[in-house]
Amino acid sequence: MTTQLHKTLHEDIHLFGGKDVDLCMNCGTCTVICPLAREEGGTFPRRIIRLIQTGQKRLLLKSLDPWLCYYCGDCSENCPRQANPAETMMASRRYLTSQYDWTGLARLFYNSALTEILAIVLVGLFVTALFVFLHGPMVLSTPVELNTFAPVKWVELGDWIMAAVLSFFLLTNAARMIWNTLDGKQMFRISPLIYGKAVPVFFDHMFTQRRSRQCGSARSRAFWLKHLLLVTGYLSMLVLVLILLRWFQTDTIYPIYNPQRLWGYYATIALLYPTGAFMISRWRKKEPIHFFSEASDWIFLVMLFLTALTGIMVSLARVNGFPMATYVIYVIHLSIAVPMLVVEVPFSKWSHLLYRPLALYLVSVKKAAAAIPLKTQPETATA
Amino acid sequence: MNTINNTQHEHPEPRVGVYICRCGGNISDVVDVERVADVSRHIPGVVVAKVHTFCCSDPGQNTISQDIQAEKLDRVVVASCSPFLHELTFRGAVQRGGLNPYLYEHVNIREQGSWAHKHDPAGATVKAIRMIAAAVGKLQYSTPLDQIRLPNHRKALVIGGGIAGMKVAADLAGRGIPVLLVESSGRLGGRLNQWNRVFPTDAPAGQLVTKLLAQLDENPLVEILLNCKVTAVTGFVGSFQVTIEGPIGPAGAKTSAQATIGAIVMATGFRPYVPDDGEFLYKKDPGVVTMPEFIDLMRGQQAAAGQLVYKGRTIRSIAFLHCVGSRQIDGVHTPRADGKINSYCSRVCCTTTLQQALAAKERFPSLQVYDLHQDIRTYGRGHEDYYVRAGKAGIVFFRYHGDEIPRVEPADDQRRGTPSLHITFKDYLTWGEELTLDVDMLVLAVGFMAGDIPDLINMFKLPVGEDRFIQEIHPKLRPVEISVNGVLLAGTVQGPMNIEETLNAAGAAAVKASAMFLKDVVELNPYVAQVDSDLCQGSGACVTQCEYDGAIALVETRVNGKSIRQAKVNPGLCVGCGACVAVCPTRAINLNGWRLDQYDAMVDGLTADIPAVAAATTG
Ligand SMILES: Cc1cc2nc3c(=O)[nH]c(=O)nc-3n(C[C@H](O)[C@H](O)[C@H](O)COP(=O)(O)OP(=O)(O)OC[C@H]3O[C@@H](n4cnc5c(N)ncnc54)[C@H](O)[C@@H]3O)c2cc1C
Ligand code: SF4
Ligand code: SF4
Ligand code: SF4
Ligand code: SF4
Repeated sequence: MTTQLHKTLHEDIHLFGGKDVDLCMNCGTCTVICPLAREEGGTFPRRIIRLIQTGQKRLLLKSLDPWLCYYCGDCSENCPRQANPAETMMASRRYLTSQYDWTGLARLFYNSALTEILAIVLVGLFVTALFVFLHGPMVLSTPVELNTFAPVKWVELGDWIMAAVLSFFLLTNAARMIWNTLDGKQMFRISPLIYGKAVPVFFDHMFTQRRSRQCGSARSRAFWLKHLLLVTGYLSMLVLVLILLRWFQTDTIYPIYNPQRLWGYYATIALLYPTGAFMISRWRKKEPIHFFSEASDWIFLVMLFLTALTGIMVSLARVNGFPMATYVIYVIHLSIAVPMLVVEVPFSKWSHLLYRPLALYLVSVKKAAAAIPLKTQPETATA
Repeated sequence: MNTINNTQHEHPEPRVGVYICRCGGNISDVVDVERVADVSRHIPGVVVAKVHTFCCSDPGQNTISQDIQAEKLDRVVVASCSPFLHELTFRGAVQRGGLNPYLYEHVNIREQGSWAHKHDPAGATVKAIRMIAAAVGKLQYSTPLDQIRLPNHRKALVIGGGIAGMKVAADLAGRGIPVLLVESSGRLGGRLNQWNRVFPTDAPAGQLVTKLLAQLDENPLVEILLNCKVTAVTGFVGSFQVTIEGPIGPAGAKTSAQATIGAIVMATGFRPYVPDDGEFLYKKDPGVVTMPEFIDLMRGQQAAAGQLVYKGRTIRSIAFLHCVGSRQIDGVHTPRADGKINSYCSRVCCTTTLQQALAAKERFPSLQVYDLHQDIRTYGRGHEDYYVRAGKAGIVFFRYHGDEIPRVEPADDQRRGTPSLHITFKDYLTWGEELTLDVDMLVLAVGFMAGDIPDLINMFKLPVGEDRFIQEIHPKLRPVEISVNGVLLAGTVQGPMNIEETLNAAGAAAVKASAMFLKDVVELNPYVAQVDSDLCQGSGACVTQCEYDGAIALVETRVNGKSIRQAKVNPGLCVGCGACVAVCPTRAINLNGWRLDQYDAMVDGLTADIPAVAAATTG
């Protein structure tokens, strides 16, 4: 089958931060260097660069390779042409995110920081407005009655609505990813058994990012730990807010060693410390992964950091008995957290939390499926 | 038969000195040199046999010269390295000792001994002894010889006035040697007149030609004949008689001139490959052009034009195809009329392609430029820059395999304003994915073909290589010389070269030619055929056999008052190949220095009973 070449693909990737694709002369050094490609018997990052150079959009959309890279930067360090393959992999992840997304919002946000900020501000103002007009009585005596100001059952309802909407977008996008990469019809030819057997792979990678530890020489172990810490913080936050809100948002002040408070503090540290460290690293360009920063990278970190910061401030104000401060900061906290989730989860950087383990899951499904009819041809041959 | 030999012996018995070299261990680590010397002393005729650590050093050479005096040696053998290295050195040492330098034999026990038989020291030792025995045997029949000395006419002929010929002429004239430069076209400069800016400097090609022209113009020793050809040549190195005719072509009366020439430089250049009609749609689709045509059409673009226009069509996308007419593969490409394919790499076309593709992209930034190559061979200084810049400029590269030639077809949609060409190929930078390109223009990066000079090849007996280019004696050791004495090569007559390489080659040829004029005689090795008039019956078999025009001929001679026809050798033209020796029915011909009796003696030496000799040493 002959491939139709898209002349614009490569300009497109440029918009997503892949600015040095032209410099690549296809020597293959990057692929040889990449510890993850080596392990997978893979051909990235050169293959991805090649697809972009030549405009082979069909194959790029089909590829899972971008998600297999954890950005250690070894390839960029060794590229004889300074073609920055690692950043091209990053750009292709941004590009793929925007391609999986059917609403077009992801593309809009990635290509215009202003639009993304605007969207965040609008959602934030909407949340603020909700509280301004709909909040309960403000009891100004101590102990602080947060549940009177913002009754937990209403907040919880809001949570659930938001979660449902975001899940809808995220899951439909993920479905498109599966459809693209398993080549549509082939998807149904694979036995359900294979899909089932591979499920542990998904959770394994989601919670451990095990593979990122095999990544390159420049990548410090500390980075992996920080990233892992961040993921646990994030997941804690989701669990506390979506599932355990009734237990988490109380007016009773429990002793400091109570799990409710301890878990909250843990989540705070697990969010604040890594995001803070990553921001410093991006600013000082310390880790190779932080050499190049797009606006979307900054927005993600800043929003996450502010969410955690305001969260802990709410807790401190409440525990120490400052009712007015508690209410105000609570509104600010939600006016940051909600837009952060709405914009980031299905349409921006956050989505990698799902796409990456999903990609590894799909790789293992594909491998298992390919092993059955004694056909070990790589994906290209099956078109 | 050996009468001459005997009368020339100073002593009734020959007195041979044998010198065995350790070569600082290179030889002695394998060959038991002491034993070789011991045994050599027992070879009949050997008076002295010595071992030296470095025979070629001053003390080593002095030992030989002094021994000749002290021991009254009249023949010398040195067993050491390859004769290519030091045969002349030891001839010199022998001459300084007062002996004729041709009463010397060189035995190679390093390349043909210790290095070849590293793992068999005993065998290497016996082999060394046998080779020395053969040399000593040969020397018994050696006669003093003198170099052949022929008059040398101080004038050079350069055939071909491209950049190579111009450079040779300028260099020679600059050293005070008169030059005759014969160019068949009406203009000097050759192919450079066709090109625009040339890599790696991007200087206008015309500038180089103008510079050299100025050098030629101001030197009165240069005589330029345009529109002329060399039509006949006789003679040999030092005194060629050449006939030059001109002007070529139908117009005007032809005149012809003669000149006597000492040395000749061939600089007739190359031809760009011309694709067959229909090869990649060449001549079938107006959008398919060769690189020279492309260079020409780019030169013709309007200065202010925003878009590339050719034959009234706007060119928006363009593909460059490498290796057209080069690197062809047996069974894949159709052979030329002579049954051969061009399997060589033309070396210049890669950089030319990148340079031209880049120039087009820089001149017309909206142009979509593709490059289809097998390899990128930008090997010279500055050439790789074009590749890097081409990448940066957004030129897209594809790599095909030589045995899967890209297919070029007319595009399905042939309306005006749409790409007319449809190219299909497998791209090995994308793991063999089959891709298609639709483009408005395809540029065929054609390679080099050998020049069309059958007349000169015949006239000079030029050695032609498998690739049809004129072949040097040795690509590394003697890169501008050919097997015809007095004729040198300069530039692309010899194979694909860029301008830099062409000028280097031309410079080397000019130096070689200048060196020939250092003396007013030409000195040649004395190893030529010699006819024994007592034995020659005039059968003429030798004349029929000889490949070299004029080297041997039957001439009338008077013997005892009777006129008979006998063979006579022209030592200037004889190359000493020995073909005539083999066919003479009366064994009347011998090669000086390599006589038949010497061969017999060598065989005797090689097959002598060495163990017996060895036993004599121990016993
Ligand atoms: C498309 C193309 C682009 C190139 N671009 C570059 C470049 O950018 N940079 C670079 O370094 N190199 C370039 N080259 C290579 C360059 O053209 C050659 O290196 C150079 O022309 C060789 O010079 P020459 O004198 O050996 O041969 P030629 O240029 O071929 O000159 C030979 C001369 O001999 C004459 N002649 C031929 N036969 C006879 C005869 N029988 N009697 C008398 N005269 C005769 C011819 O008329 C001609 O004038 C390019 C080559 C090609 C094909
Ligand atoms: S990105 Fe660099 S290392 Fe990788 S193939 Fe291209 S030039 Fe080579
Ligand atoms: S950044 Fe690291 S993991 Fe990603 S492609 Fe380069 S070497 Fe491989
Ligand atoms: S120089 Fe390049 S284009 Fe020319 S024959 Fe060699 S590989 Fe092919
Ligand atoms: S030795 Fe060779 S070149 Fe010389 S005359 Fe005999 S055949 Fe001719």
